[in-house]
Amino acid sequence: MSLSNINKKSIYYPPGGILIWIVIYLELITFGMAIAALAFYGAQERAIFHEHSQMLNKTIATINTVFLLTGGFFAAKAMHYFKEGLYEKTNRFLLWAIFSGLGFLGLKLVEYYQKLEAGLDMNYSSFFMNYWLLTAFHWLHVLVGIVILFFIRRAIQKKKQNASLEDMEAGTAFWHMCDIIWLLLFPILYLLF
Amino acid sequence: MQKKLTYTYFILIALTLAGAVLASFSVSKTIVAAIVVFSIIKFLTVAFQFMELKDAHIFWKILLTFYVCVLGGIMIILL
Repeated sequence: MSLSNINKKSIYYPPGGILIWIVIYLELITFGMAIAALAFYGAQERAIFHEHSQMLNKTIATINTVFLLTGGFFAAKAMHYFKEGLYEKTNRFLLWAIFSGLGFLGLKLVEYYQKLEAGLDMNYSSFFMNYWLLTAFHWLHVLVGIVILFFIRRAIQKKKQNASLEDMEAGTAFWHMCDIIWLLLFPILYLLF
Repeated sequence: MQKKLTYTYFILIALTLAGAVLASFSVSKTIVAAIVVFSIIKFLTVAFQFMELKDAHIFWKILLTFYVCVLGGIMIILL
């Protein structure tokens, strides 16, 4: 297991390496622009956005936020144990992080099903078009995050020599990116209108 | 380190629940600002503690803080 001495204070080495952070910033800018646009149009059609926001299930969204934060907590614990060389504990916490992510995805599908049953699809209104685009795009990111954690976990399990600190940091950084994007989507879609 | 992560997690959950409870009141400018500030705090807490940005070069810290403050500011001004 390579735990190389990397200078974390170097501008060229944020946690996980510079490439994953370029990806993270590109994602944040993309979602950020969409969120700013949603706020702009929401301010213009405040009454409609308020009415349609009330049609969303805040309880499911709050539980989903807890799922993602819990997954982030488990991933951070896994990172901690990985640095200490405790690979069984690392794998256990990565597995729990994956389960938290699956909980998020499953509950989101329940929410999507309820919306589609009620006829609240993308064509219903501009609020729901934004809702579907933003949450579905984010849903795919969480799915990708789960796949990444799964492969990191498998690499640690099978070939301990090949699992590098950078892989682990980059994988968990992507996972946390899904958290922080959701922390912006949750209020703008469910709470603020 | 372990305890710090656990405390951080419970603070994040508490802020999430507080935001959800606040939103159940009629939405005013103050409530919007409070919910956005809670979200900014949660965003930065996850980034600095869970993503370990606290150990990174100051450039990355400032960039992410600037991003979330600008976006939060836009939300507060517009909504």
